[in-house]
Amino acid sequence: MVSQEEIKDLVIARLEMLPDDKKISIGQREFTKEEIIEHVKKGDLIGKMMIDIELGFLRDMKEGFVLNE
Amino acid sequence: MSRAILLTRPEHDDTTHYLSNWSIEFIDLAEKRNFNVYDLKGKKAIRKQVEGHLSSNPSLVIFNGHGDVNVICGYLNEPLIILGKNEGYLKSKIVYARSCKSAEELGRKSQALAYIGYKEDFIFFYEPKKITKPLTDETAKMFLEPTNKLVTSLIKGNTVAESQKRSRELYIRTIKGILSSETSNENTSLVKYIWWNLKNQTVIGSENAKVED
Repeated sequence: MVSQEEIKDLVIARLEMLPDDKKISIGQREFTKEEIIEHVKKGDLIGKMMIDIELGFLRDMKEGFVLNE
Repeated sequence: MSRAILLTRPEHDDTTHYLSNWSIEFIDLAEKRNFNVYDLKGKKAIRKQVEGHLSSNPSLVIFNGHGDVNVICGYLNEPLIILGKNEGYLKSKIVYARSCKSAEELGRKSQALAYIGYKEDFIFFYEPKKITKPLTDETAKMFLEPTNKLVTSLIKGNTVAESQKRSRELYIRTIKGILSSETSNENTSLVKYIWWNLKNQTVIGSENAKVED
């Protein structure tokens, strides 16, 4: 069983791969990579959404969504 | 219903600046196809203006801006359409909200003929160094081009379902193109966010509706 902390670490590791010179628009704000990682560390709404995206995407890729369409 | 398109494009921050500039493509197309385009840009993207123009029954309404489950916002995030207050203005119209989260609650309860929006936050990446020329931003293009495809398809007279299909196809082509490319590893890390928009872009209402009906 993977713990929430391990999931968080996995997501942060993947977010580290984001380009440094780009920003992300989410909701009513724009964020840098470092800011997004901070939200994941804090576990707030933005951070939880980042985790949902990461896990949801991995699940869909495993199930063949997108690549099989 | 009049052969007219109403769009809002507030430009008070990076996000709305990008969405505004990426709307030029379909504004040009609509004008070429002889639509009256009510273009509420910048400070004109306010509730009073929106309600006034919605009263003239444009067949297509496009909102660019911030939003939430029960609201779509305009200039300086002034609420333009608020569930429980003025969503009736959307009745019988085709609406596309390029904003966050408004599909499920506002979209479902608006009585729009068709409402296309997002169930969750709409996300895009951009290159701050391209802020003065957003249309040359190849990063933003990966996210915004599939959404433009939806609107250009509607303006060309395709049904809501066909337009959604064409938009989804472009999302998928974009994702597959990045994953099969040997070039930028950076773009590979962005794919999941394109997938997120694809997953959350939703049609509520009549899939057979057409703008020119």
